[in-house]
Amino acid sequence: MSKPSDLIQGTLDLLILRTIALQPKHGWAIAKRIEQVSEDVLQVSQGALYPALHRLEQQAWIRAAWRKTETGREAKFYELTTAGRAQLQKELAQWERLSRAVGQVIAQ
Amino acid sequence: MGALVAGRGSGDCAVRLRRAWDILRLRLRSLARPGRVERELEKELRFHLDRQVEENLGVGMPLADARRAALRKLGGVTQIQEECRDMRRTDMIENFARDLRYAIRSLGKNPGFTVVILLTLALSIGANSAIFSVIDGVLLRPLPYPDANRIVRVFFHSASYPHFPLNPFDFRDFRARSRSFESMAGFTRADLQLSGAGQPEHFTGFAVTAGFFRVLGLRPARGHEFGAGEELPGNQQQVLLSDRLWRNRFAADPHIVGRKITLDARPFTVAGVMPPGTEHPGNEYNGVAHGETVDIWWPFAFRGDPTQRGSHFLEVIGRLKKGVAPHAAQAEMNALIAQLAREHPNYLEGWQALVIPLYQEIVGPSQRLLLVLLGAVGLVLLIACANAANLLLARASARQREIAVRTALGAGRARLIRQMLTESLLIAFLGGGLGVVIALAGVRLLVSLLPPDFPRASAIHVNAAVFGFTFLVALATGILFGLAPALQAARTDVQDNLRAGGRGSGSHRGHLRLRSALVVGEIGLACLLLIGAGLMLRSFVNLLRADPGFRPEHLLTARVLLPDATYKADEAPRFWGRLTARLDSVAGIRAAGVGTDLPWTGYDDNVSGFTVEGKKPAANEEFHARYHVASPGYFRAMGIPLARGRFFTAGDTTKAPLAIIVNRSMAQRYWPNQDALGRRITFDDHPKEKDWMTIVGIVADVKDKPDSPTAQMALWWPVDQTPVSVNAMAIAVRGSSDPALLANDLRQAVHQLDPNLAVAAIRSMDDIADANISTPRFALFLVALFAGLALTLAAIGIYGVISYAVSQRRHEFGLRMALGAQPGDVRRLVLRQGVKLAVAGVALGLIAALALGRVLWSLLYEVRPADPVTFVSVSAVAIAVAILACYIPARRATNVDPANALRSE
Repeated sequence: MSKPSDLIQGTLDLLILRTIALQPKHGWAIAKRIEQVSEDVLQVSQGALYPALHRLEQQAWIRAAWRKTETGREAKFYELTTAGRAQLQKELAQWERLSRAVGQVIAQ
Repeated sequence: MGALVAGRGSGDCAVRLRRAWDILRLRLRSLARPGRVERELEKELRFHLDRQVEENLGVGMPLADARRAALRKLGGVTQIQEECRDMRRTDMIENFARDLRYAIRSLGKNPGFTVVILLTLALSIGANSAIFSVIDGVLLRPLPYPDANRIVRVFFHSASYPHFPLNPFDFRDFRARSRSFESMAGFTRADLQLSGAGQPEHFTGFAVTAGFFRVLGLRPARGHEFGAGEELPGNQQQVLLSDRLWRNRFAADPHIVGRKITLDARPFTVAGVMPPGTEHPGNEYNGVAHGETVDIWWPFAFRGDPTQRGSHFLEVIGRLKKGVAPHAAQAEMNALIAQLAREHPNYLEGWQALVIPLYQEIVGPSQRLLLVLLGAVGLVLLIACANAANLLLARASARQREIAVRTALGAGRARLIRQMLTESLLIAFLGGGLGVVIALAGVRLLVSLLPPDFPRASAIHVNAAVFGFTFLVALATGILFGLAPALQAARTDVQDNLRAGGRGSGSHRGHLRLRSALVVGEIGLACLLLIGAGLMLRSFVNLLRADPGFRPEHLLTARVLLPDATYKADEAPRFWGRLTARLDSVAGIRAAGVGTDLPWTGYDDNVSGFTVEGKKPAANEEFHARYHVASPGYFRAMGIPLARGRFFTAGDTTKAPLAIIVNRSMAQRYWPNQDALGRRITFDDHPKEKDWMTIVGIVADVKDKPDSPTAQMALWWPVDQTPVSVNAMAIAVRGSSDPALLANDLRQAVHQLDPNLAVAAIRSMDDIADANISTPRFALFLVALFAGLALTLAAIGIYGVISYAVSQRRHEFGLRMALGAQPGDVRRLVLRQGVKLAVAGVALGLIAALALGRVLWSLLYEVRPADPVTFVSVSAVAIAVAILACYIPARRATNVDPANALRSE
């Protein structure tokens, strides 16, 4: 019940980090953004999203701040910390390596 | 994004520091303001929900449906919150606090349960800590000398004399030739007597060679140690005082060094004062226990002819050079012995050197005993753990519904285990806390029970190490006895329990199996301890029943030292003759005698190199024996029976032919299957007729100690004919009632002859005998205590399990009775279940006892570790106790009202 069935744990972390790399976003926007960009292939369950956000925040990869949204409501916006940016680079590189390897095996 | 890859090196470090700081801040925030963090999370989730509702409305859902769909999509809010809490990692601490509160509440709800479990744990943890503090003080603490692991004892060694003292000239040769030692010294018991102002006083003293304290790594607090010059005969005019003697007898005189004092009627100069905490290394012959037991030290003199080496009495201690192992030093000593044997024909054949660490010499004999005690008390703790686990399991079964409900509400398995462990650890630490209190009292009790010569008793304290040990034991205990119930609880089948309301389900049978296994283990361990206690009891009874070879009752002993300066040559023998005559005339004294030694007090007198008329010594062994001196009345006073011949008489004077008395062992060894009476030995290499000593009597054997396997060969000389000094003698007077009443008569008799003599070490022989069996008695008492505790715990355990089984089978019993079973049938049914467990446990215990019997071997006297009497009686006792413990639940089983049982079915 805690693990997202459609997303490998860790991959969600990568997606979140990547999604907020350009500008801070709140949880709803992060989930929507991932779904949009992946053309609804990747569904982020909220049950996985918020614990993941909390974990990333607790590990100081991201930091949160309450800000007004465009509609004027208060929402919790997440952005990368410096350490988080480095972490994103590391995870991206790792992902590249992994997906290339998987691709090669499949394409043989 | 490219810019952010830049910060390697120092920037990297800063980033990492920053991150650590952020993490710390976040944790603290979640800890300090949990409410605020929770509210924020709620607000965040509500925001999310609202957006979802909006989205749903956007696609045209009615409001109510939009809400419901959004909630469904979000999933369990509580679960998300719980998981976020997990992510914050503060849940550990928060949950711990919650679990702790919960545990305290549930303990308070069951005071009976709590008291039983806490008491058993406190007792067993306390007992463990108490025994551990003895082990810590005696075995673990290094000896109180700098670099103590380099200090060794040096002995001669042969098959019949494992620890034989050295001849002084052997020692001198060793000291001069050996290269393994940084320093080496000899010492031998040599008490001194202070007379003058006040009561004459007898001091425990040692004659030591130069550098004795250097070997120990100690220095006088004032003054200096003896030098090589003091070893020359005639130069023994200096003494070193113990701190205690300096304070008590010389009022801590700051100008004591150089002061003249009179000891043994001779002038001495105080060379120095040793600091407090100067501990005697302990010695074997005329033994003085390790500790601050010695009052005075004075120089040892190398007297006599270096080619005559028959007499062995010097104890040797050495400090090995850095990096030299004891066995290497021993190899060198053996080479030196070979050298000496070449230089002195017919000498030292069959002897080897023995170099053992001082620690081993002091502590070795007690090590086995203490480890056995630790093992025993550890078994008690295991049983207590099994018992606690059993009680917790019993309660867990009562709480199964509650646990099922909690699981259904989303409590994770790990979370449940953690909660159960919190509870068991709370119990364990409360038990440990109480245990420390018990240990504090127990250690005091233990020390007061310790045998008087127990090594290092003064080093036994409850200290930080003991507290640390108790903490670890409590921790291990809590985990050990908490794990089974915790795992069991985590395995609870939710559906089953919610439906059945916690009755008669499959998990209960597994539950009972686990508890039964625990009880079988408990009974097995208890049996193991009972067998240990039984063996020790049998051994102790054997020891008490064994014939000591003398009669200790109604016997008073004392020591008197005649100063060499005032009692020269034949004056000492004359004094002893007058003293025994005077004592003989005292009403109430039935026999009186003097001798160099008392039974069971240790000897240092071994003689070798004598000739048995008409015999050659066996290869690799020369003739040797313990030697003593005895007055005519000595054997009668001591109650040592005469086997053949006669005791010494007043006629055995300097003018009469030389007479000796030997013990049975010596007679049998050197004159096997012959009459030893009238046979002769001599100590002279070229004997004339008058040098032969004739055996005039054969007396019963007296062992060195009550539990020595055999008696040593021994001979006695008459006081008037002895070649050795008789200035230090033991007096034995036999009365017809309480020997303490004779003490005054004895003191008066001595003081009428010479008011300057101290009558020291006045003790009844019963006390001496008692001190000699105090170690086995101590061991027996403790092991029996632990075994009793173990049996009680096991009885509680089996009672608990059978009660539980009965409560589970109430309906069945009711049914049986409704169908015509008699109460007796039902009782038998229950008892059979208990007996089955008991028999299994006993079998386990017997097997373990057989396997572990060897551990006890060296502590037993004339009992085999596989003693059938002990095994059978322990089995009977254990099964009887088990039946007794099952009887109450068995009775309860028959109290079921059949009608009631049927109705609820």
